[in-house]
This record gives sequence, C-alpha cells and structure tokens, in this order.
Amino acid sequence: MTALRSSMHEPLALPASDEASIAAAARRRARNRRLKVWGARALTLMIIVGGWQLFTAQKIVDPFFFGQPTGIVSQLKDWIQHGTEYGSLWLQIWVTMKEALLGFLYGVIAGIFFGVLLGQIAFLADVLGPYIKVMNAIPRIVLGSIFTVWLGLGTSSKVLLAAVLVFFVVFFNAFQGVREVDRNLVNNARVLGASRLAIVRHVVLPSALTWIIASLHVAFGFAVIGAIVGEFLGATQGLGLVIASSQNHFSPDGVFAAMLIIAVIALTAEGLIGQLERRLLAWRPPSPTETAAGA
Amino acid sequence: MVLSERGEHVLIQTAPAGKAPARPAPGAAASEALAIELTAMTKRFVNPKGEVFTALEDVNLTVEPGSFCAIVGPTGCGKSTTLTMVAGLDRPSAGLVRVGGEPVRGIASGTSFMFQTDALLPWKSVLGNVALGPIFRGTSKRKAQSTAKEWLRRVGLAGFENHLPHQLSGGMRKRVSLAAALINEPSILLMDEPFGALDVQTKAIMSNELLGLWEESRPSVMFVTHDLEEAIALADKVVVITAGPGTVKAVYDVDLPRPRGAVQEIRFEPRFLELHQQIWESLREEVQRAYSRTTDTSRTGGDRS
Repeated sequence: MTALRSSMHEPLALPASDEASIAAAARRRARNRRLKVWGARALTLMIIVGGWQLFTAQKIVDPFFFGQPTGIVSQLKDWIQHGTEYGSLWLQIWVTMKEALLGFLYGVIAGIFFGVLLGQIAFLADVLGPYIKVMNAIPRIVLGSIFTVWLGLGTSSKVLLAAVLVFFVVFFNAFQGVREVDRNLVNNARVLGASRLAIVRHVVLPSALTWIIASLHVAFGFAVIGAIVGEFLGATQGLGLVIASSQNHFSPDGVFAAMLIIAVIALTAEGLIGQLERRLLAWRPPSPTETAAGA
Repeated sequence: MVLSERGEHVLIQTAPAGKAPARPAPGAAASEALAIELTAMTKRFVNPKGEVFTALEDVNLTVEPGSFCAIVGPTGCGKSTTLTMVAGLDRPSAGLVRVGGEPVRGIASGTSFMFQTDALLPWKSVLGNVALGPIFRGTSKRKAQSTAKEWLRRVGLAGFENHLPHQLSGGMRKRVSLAAALINEPSILLMDEPFGALDVQTKAIMSNELLGLWEESRPSVMFVTHDLEEAIALADKVVVITAGPGTVKAVYDVDLPRPRGAVQEIRFEPRFLELHQQIWESLREEVQRAYSRTTDTSRTGGDRS
C-alpha cells in the first residue's frame, strides 16, 4: 500500500518542477541513499563487534580461544606504546610492507614481460605452455620453505615468495590480454608502417593494460600473503612473526590485532591501485555499471 | 550530439595550394600513383580441420595508376582477401600481385588501408591517432602532430584534436580514419567497405569527401563494397567478382565525367542508370548463387564447398 502511494505521489509532484528543482531532487535522492548505505554499514559493524564483545563477556564464547574486541584494542595500544617483542610495531609493519612491495614489483614486472613475450610469440607459448601450467598447479606456498633454506631468514626469501605468487596472476592476465588484442588494430598499425616493437608499445601494451590492471588487485593480496607466510616459516622480524609468536603464546587478541593492521594496509593499497587504474584507463568510455555505482 | 551536428555537415575545405606547404598543388601527387596488377592470383586457406578452402581463383585484374577501382560481389566472395594480399598482409597461394611493376613482398611503404570497422586506438586522442602514421615511419613527434592537425582541418575536424574516438559520432570517426589513412600520402589506397556501417545520409557525405580528397592527390584506389550505387558513383572501373571461389566475372568502365559532384545527384543521370542496370544484371546472378548456396547448406546441414 505504501509503495502504491509513493509511486502515485511522484508523478503528481514532478510536472510542476523546472530543471533546477529536478536536479535538486535527484541530488537529494542520491544523498539520502548514500546516508542509508553508510548507516547500514555502521549498523552491521556494530552488530558484529558488539555481538562479539557481548558473547565473550558473557562467557557464552570463550575469550581464551576467540579473543575479545576490547582485548584486541588494548593489545594494539600495548604494541604502539611498548613495541612488540621484536622491536617497535612500526618496524614490523615496515619490514612486512617492504617485502610485500618488492615482491609485488618484481612479480608484476616479470609477469608483464613474460606475458607479453609469450602472447606475441606463439611458438614460445606452445613450447613453454605446459611447463607453466605445471608450475601453476604446484601449491607455491610450499616453495616458501625451500626459499628460506636457500636465502636464509632475511627479507629476500619473503620477497621471492611474494614475487612468485604475484608473477602467475599477472602473467596469465597479461598473456590473455595480449591474445585479445583486436587484430584489426594490429593490422592497421602494420600497414601504417609500425615495427614489431612499435606495435607492442602503441597497440598491444595499452590494449592489454585493462587486463593487467585488473590482475593487480588480486596480485597485491598475494604479495601480502607471500610476505606473511614467508615470515611464518622463519624470520627475525615482521608481522607474520608477530602473528606466529602470538599463536605460540595462546594470544588470539595478538593474532586478530596483527590481522587488523594487515587489513588496513591491504585496503590502503587497494585504494592506491584503484586510483592508478582510473588514471591509466581514463580513456575508457564510462560503462553503465560504473556510473550507477557512484556511491 | 552537438558534436556530430557540427562535424557531420562541414564539407571539406580544399586547401589552396599556397596555404598548405606540406602538400603539392592538386594533381601533382607527392608519391607517384602506382599500378596494381593481379595475375592469375589464387588464394586457398586451410582451416583447423585440415580442409582446403579456395577463396579466390585465378584473379586477373589491373588498376591503372591514379584510377579508382571499385570491387563488388556477393558476401564472402573474397573481396576483402584481395585487398589484404595487395597490402602485403597476406600472400597469394599462386599467381602474382604487383604494385608499380614490383611483386608485393610484405607491407610496402606507399600503401594505406582503411578497414570496415574502426581501427582507431581508443586510448589515443584524435590527433594522436592521425599522427601515428608519420610517427611509425620515423617522423619526429612534433612534426607528425602538426601534419596531423593540418589533415584534421582538411577533413573538417579542426577543434576535435583532443577528443577520444568514443566521444565522436560514427561519421566523425570515419573522417579520422580517412585522415589517418591519407596522412602518409599513399600511392595506393585500399578501402574495405569503409562506409558500410554508416547510415545512408552520412555515407553520401563521406563519399563526397573521399572523392574531393582523392582528386587532390590521386592515389590508385581499390574500393571494396557491396553497394553498387556507391561503386558506380565513385569509381572509374567496377569489377564484379563471382560467388566464391571468387574470380573476376566482368569489368565495367564508368565513363561518367569527373569531377563527379554530389553522389546523391549523380545517381539520377541517365548514363548512371544505364550502367547500374548493366552491372546489376551481372551482379544479381552471383548474389543469387551465393544466397541459394547459404540457404542450401543450412537446409541440408552439409558443407558443399
């Protein structure tokens, strides 16, 4: 009944309106919707965190195993004020970030290079294809143990693990992106007199960029996983080590606190990659889904 | 939509010889127009199943230097394949393709190609797209861009240099393609149904512009289309290709005087109608043959070729 009333109400109000008030009404609707979405988000968070706190405080759920929001906050405060057992918290964050970023960088560069190379040279792709598939099928996390043995407890073993994880994600996307390049565009460039290198630079790379950038979102997640798991397997510093030692001390609050820090880092990186994406792909015509997802 | 209104109805400004120092006076082509000769050219393809399919069989055809040759024929008769072979994008299975007396080996520098679908890079501005030709041939970026600017003015797109292709209407994108194809001052211009996707009015306007630009520098043109009226209105010679495997069925000389003027009006001239009648007689058989073949195969589900 209310739905019917409101749908009848609108056409009555609109015909009298001029352009300015229609625009104002549209703005108001958009703002109301944004407010509603944010309100619902805050409510969801309150229910989850509040419920968690309530259940653990009432001992319905054992805080010894599941931690407690207040415990997590005090653990974070403690780390910030007194540092972790391996040095200051900021040092741990920096070490993990450095490993993840370097691994990300190397993995992305190698992934794009080999993706474009194999995408351009079909013979090479046919020869190496099966080997790459085999390597991709190996659970690569296990390689972390070998890298620690090879490169020791320093940062290089974590960087390598992160790079390997990132490589395959970026490689497959770059390869596919190169394969999907419009033949027409390539032929046109050829007739205009472009060399093979010029075609890669002016046609193939920009065209594959849509695919490559889409992979970066996932790839950065893998870089962080590589760094953390590498630290788990053996390290002298880093957030992964902090998590591992919290686990050994039966401190779920410590594990969750470290998780929270990692989540903040990952979200920041995600935002930066999103910004990079918008800059590099500014030429794309706005798609209807993008304009709709303004909130 | 304001954009398309402005762009679509500006006719080309033919540059006075003094104002365009980069271009020679009309008539004296920068690069000499070359003859295109196809001798006993055959093209067969092998599909992934290993079956051999003959697209073109024993094609003999000559396009005189500086003349406009239209190629008409039913869908799938190998018209476009002919062009890719002249461009050097592909090689004939047998026979010879010669441009200016020299056999075609790979992509030649004096050839431009205008494709049926837009071949503009969507991430480059209009100016960047037109400047690609000279840049690929080693011209400095600044010089290429000033030449590109001049060409955009000639096709009536001055002021749209920084737009992206998707911000233009279909007709305007064709103008950009035309400028991009002509900027290298080709001696041979290959066009594969360049205006096929346009609406009738825009197509007529674009045809007029093409004729105007062509008459300035007179490259040899091979123009593939299945619009017979367009073919007669534009060309010196109309070649009818048979239903696949394609071969030359007949060649008609179009003796309408040049400059042709508006293509919308020339189609009412008695000589035009006479030619249309003649060529259509010849073309109709092939179109019917091609059509009945497709309906036959769809009925029996078999593959006759």
